[in-house]
Amino acid sequence: MTTLKKILVVDDDPVVGKSFDRVLSGKGYAVITARDGQEALDKLAREDYDAVFTDIKMPGMSGIEVAARVKTTRPWLPVVIVTGYGSDANEAAARKAGVAAFLRKPLSPEMIEDSAHAVMPENRPGAAATAVASPMPAALAPGVPWRVGTFARNVGLFFAAPFIGLAYVIALPFIGLGMLAWRGYQALAKREQAK
Amino acid sequence: MHKLYVHPLPVRIWHWINALGFIALILSGVQIRYSDILAVLPFGLAVQLHNAIGFALIGNYFIWLLFYLFTDKIKVYHPDLNPARYYRDSLRQAAFYGYGIFKGRPNPHHVSVYRKFNALQSITYQIIMILLVPLQFYTGLLLWDVNGFAGSIELFGGVRMVSTVHVLLFIFFSAFIFIHPYLASLGHTPTAHFKAMITGYEEVEEEPVKDVAR
Ligand code: HEM
Repeated sequence: MTTLKKILVVDDDPVVGKSFDRVLSGKGYAVITARDGQEALDKLAREDYDAVFTDIKMPGMSGIEVAARVKTTRPWLPVVIVTGYGSDANEAAARKAGVAAFLRKPLSPEMIEDSAHAVMPENRPGAAATAVASPMPAALAPGVPWRVGTFARNVGLFFAAPFIGLAYVIALPFIGLGMLAWRGYQALAKREQAK
Repeated sequence: MHKLYVHPLPVRIWHWINALGFIALILSGVQIRYSDILAVLPFGLAVQLHNAIGFALIGNYFIWLLFYLFTDKIKVYHPDLNPARYYRDSLRQAAFYGYGIFKGRPNPHHVSVYRKFNALQSITYQIIMILLVPLQFYTGLLLWDVNGFAGSIELFGGVRMVSTVHVLLFIFFSAFIFIHPYLASLGHTPTAHFKAMITGYEEVEEEPVKDVAR
């Protein structure tokens, strides 16, 4: 049995942590969230994690600073920076801090899953030895590695889409009538009770 | 207000060639069908034009298809597999188009790169692009060479069937050509979506929707 990989997601927007959780839970990861840099460092001090994903722009400590501090205390821990739009200066700074990868928003489920998979130490040959000296290039940003399974699923859904759509359209009147009937039944039942 | 790159170049090229082509196909098709009461073009020329544009658009369609098949943008053409959410989003969107928009209510859909279409758009575009457009091309191709494709026409249910499907879809697309630009004019300004379909960038009011991984 493999143990869960623990991933710390640092973002002031709780939605981001939630989407990581939705994508990664059940796939061998446990997602823990922190709302700002300080909270993240506190959590890191108390527990061991397998990877950190951090937003850049946050109130208080920036993601770059989080990355820099993690790198001084735990140089082996991969830090992935989640960047917004056109922030090349930020990227240069982050690269200097030695981050493992960049993810550019908006994030797709594949981007999240593939990057989580890619930064795990066992999937990065030689990474442990070189983590301090040479940061990994931003190999993950902005695209995603091509995978047969993902491709097949995407194409399957694509060609299924119009038929699922038609099924929705055809089902709509029945669902509408069903809901009306249910409402009517409830109203009647209430009246019976009131009598 | 910031900009989001929602319509990549291949999609824009495909779309505008396709739009012009569809208009030309509708017009030449009307001329072919009603050559007894309409004589803008000679019948033979109308047929030649209709065939040529038809083949051009079939080729053009593959720009669209291959682009979506081989990029992760394919997600914008994925169905919502959660019926409850699908119906809720559609009803909200329909209520917005039918009522809320006249009251100045905000659009319930928020554009992001992997969810650029609202629930109603996504279902119509899926049905049109992955089912109806190919069906129109296929029936058109069969009618182009009735003898050569005799076998396929038999499978389809006879030439009458093929022709009927082709004409019914023609009626549908003729209506679509009016409704679709109307709906496309309902952005935050009337020309917003048109500009987006030309430049690729949609202007988004609020902070970007951070995730699409719902
Ligand atoms: C009168 C000509 C047309 C005009 C002015 C027009 C306008 C537009 C505009 C402004 C958009 C972008 C807004 C949106 O995403 O809804 C759009 C998208 C789209 N239109 Fe049209 N259109 C025309 C004809 C057509 C035709 C004939 C078809 C197909 C048979 C078509 C299919 C589509 C599709 C599938 C999209 C979404 C494209 C994508 O991003 O994948 N349009 N159109």
